Amino acid sequence: MIDGTGKHLTAGIVDEHSHIAASAINEGGHNSTAEVTIEDVVDPTDINIYRNLSGGTTSIQILHGSANPIGGRSAIIKLKWGENAENLIYENSPKFIKFALGENVKQSRSNTSYRFPQTRMGVEQVFTDYFQRAKEYDLIKKSGQPYRKDLEMETLAEILNKERYISCHSYVQSEINMLMKVAEKFNFNVNTFTHILEGYKVADKMKEHGVGGSTFSDWWAYKYEVIDAIPYNAAIMHNAGVTVAINSDDREMSRRLNQEAAKTVKYGGMSELEAWKMVTINPAKLLHIDNRVGSIKVGKDADVVLWSDHPLSIYAKAEKTIIEGKIYFDIKDDERKRAAIKLEKAKLINLMLKEKMGGGKTQLPKKRIDRNFHCDTKEI
Amino acid sequence: MFLLTIVNITAQQTPASKQAEPISIEGATAHLGNGEVIENSLVMFREGEIIFVGSSKTKIARIGRIIKANGKHIYPGFIAANSTLGLVEVDAVKASSDVRETGIMNPHIRSIIAYNAESKVVESMRPNGVLMAQITPRGGTISGTSSVVQLDAWNWEDASLKNDDAIHMNWPSSFTSGRWWLGEDPALKPDKNYINKTQKIVSFFRDAKNYLKEPNSIKNLPFSSTKGLFLGSQKLFIHASGQREITDAVTMAKDLGINNIVLVNGHEAEKVSSLLVKHNIPVLLERPHRNPESEDHAYDYTYTIAKTLTDLGILVGIGMEGQMERMNTRNLPFYAGTFAAHGLERENAVKLITNNAAKILGIDDTVGTLEVGKDATLFISEGDALDMRGNILTEAFIQGRKISLESHQTKLWKRYSNKYKTE
Repeated sequence: MIDGTGKHLTAGIVDEHSHIAASAINEGGHNSTAEVTIEDVVDPTDINIYRNLSGGTTSIQILHGSANPIGGRSAIIKLKWGENAENLIYENSPKFIKFALGENVKQSRSNTSYRFPQTRMGVEQVFTDYFQRAKEYDLIKKSGQPYRKDLEMETLAEILNKERYISCHSYVQSEINMLMKVAEKFNFNVNTFTHILEGYKVADKMKEHGVGGSTFSDWWAYKYEVIDAIPYNAAIMHNAGVTVAINSDDREMSRRLNQEAAKTVKYGGMSELEAWKMVTINPAKLLHIDNRVGSIKVGKDADVVLWSDHPLSIYAKAEKTIIEGKIYFDIKDDERKRAAIKLEKAKLINLMLKEKMGGGKTQLPKKRIDRNFHCDTKEI
Repeated sequence: MFLLTIVNITAQQTPASKQAEPISIEGATAHLGNGEVIENSLVMFREGEIIFVGSSKTKIARIGRIIKANGKHIYPGFIAANSTLGLVEVDAVKASSDVRETGIMNPHIRSIIAYNAESKVVESMRPNGVLMAQITPRGGTISGTSSVVQLDAWNWEDASLKNDDAIHMNWPSSFTSGRWWLGEDPALKPDKNYINKTQKIVSFFRDAKNYLKEPNSIKNLPFSSTKGLFLGSQKLFIHASGQREITDAVTMAKDLGINNIVLVNGHEAEKVSSLLVKHNIPVLLERPHRNPESEDHAYDYTYTIAKTLTDLGILVGIGMEGQMERMNTRNLPFYAGTFAAHGLERENAVKLITNNAAKILGIDDTVGTLEVGKDATLFISEGDALDMRGNILTEAFIQGRKISLESHQTKLWKRYSNKYKTE
């Protein structure tokens, strides 16, 4: 029995675009890597899962990075801290794949790159070529003739057959429009444009095509392609009828998506309710998991968060984060955990000192640095 | 609330002209910046200077244009310390970057002359209440000399509030990590060269001190530029993290006779707080919207640190250094808000970005609080300016000039909102 007097209860936050909890993020070796999947590299030991819980986030899509026009398949997980990788991934998970447009896939920041495509023009041809080949592969497969099974083509054929959805990293209006046209040519539609910082410029076309937008609240000025990015993007797309989500793309903002959502109230005058939807039911809809999460409704998973204050307030703290009825983060319990860590640390130090004084071998201190993955983190 | 009014839109927002008529703001909750709040206040200013701050019940004649601000809030202009606004326009475009000069000991390199007063990024700060900033070079061991500016000006000369306020030094870390992309062990290990590196810094300053003692026929620009540090007229901003590093850096500075010190970033400052309090060294914290360094750090370590240090008697401010630091500088009020959410009393959080920042930058004689005699650099917000939903500015003033709250971004907002309305 939890006393929630004076507090606020909401659905758990859903982050459409995350790169935590994975031991690798970018298979950049080729311009199309539909054969790889994030599900193979989910890392349940990443502390960022716990930290995301402390900010009220309960479900995330771990996306492949944006090194390639066609990236790898993604993983949709619940942040059940303590479970193994299999148990984090949604059962019968909707199938998604990462596509990307813009500077990253053109490898703009490299002085030595020559991989096709080097311009936005080439990006269109990459998609057209691969979809055409996938279409032909699928025809042979369906005809009953013998064929050589190709994981990459299988995945792309799933897109053509509307069994797998695309979440596409995108920035400027020209490329956004291009991908919608390519998809229409092959008779499917793009599910989500992510980042979509110039989405406001083609919001009407997005609405017509039937694609959603998952965007940052206020990032800009970091690359040339985002010089026209504006924090009013979410509001404008929303007002044009597009389903809009606010995402994090990184382990820092994913702990504060409630605040990022609140920024749409400031930038663009969204109502508090519409702003809150952008980090709950809207991303759930975009990920096709809204039958299970995204709102507090009888029949849905018990993924809820108890806040100290109005969740859009800068002063709000998540006090309890619950997934499927189990408490995975509790602010009081966290205090106890900290004390336990402090005690354990002291014990370990004492043991080490004892060893040293007993004549044991010593070594210089070492500390692991955790890699912070982003869309453009490269392994090479 | 959706604004369709097209305010005076020009290619770049035109800097405001001098205050022509006096202004009286009635009825707002005034956050003075020193911890005090006046409900139902009256604030009056003329010719760029504040001439009254008090209750609106005071029987005093209102002068000039009267702004009725009941239900709203007035704040002193927010101040961004340790920022690089105006030195880079687009992070990934090298040609637009003037933040990092070549070389290691560059105290003479001055940021002010590379400051782009018309930067689109600078312009985007004002609608959030960030009206002043310290602009500093980065890189090397001694990065260069910073200056403090106000953010509504035609050029750097007009922008300058305090030229060459401080020299910035990056104290080396006592740990070093391998280059993982070359196959080296990426873990952090003690740096064998730490002592060497710190010795080089000590030698540099010693040589500078000696050079300054006597007149020299051969001018040495780097050495000459450090004069103010030894006289106490210029501050030394020590960017250092770690107990050992902070202690070593502060000790070196004091031994050399450099007394006007500010600690920047100061990770683990809570462990050496007595040293900092003893020498009156303020700390500019990194922004709370970043991840804690260690896996075993509490999840809110970066949020609670402001309260921790304030309780230990340290003067605390917020520095902008970090990922995408320029465009993120407009989130300064929300950094203060986060510190307030985690233990720091709300008006103390306001202080971090007003009076404390002004004191740390040495501009508190003219700005930082709503006080008679200080510059009328302030703004009116619909609500609590530290909360995203409340930080909606209706009017803002720098030295009494009513500044534009439009930007490249508001222009695009209006243009495209109108597009869909007329289609």
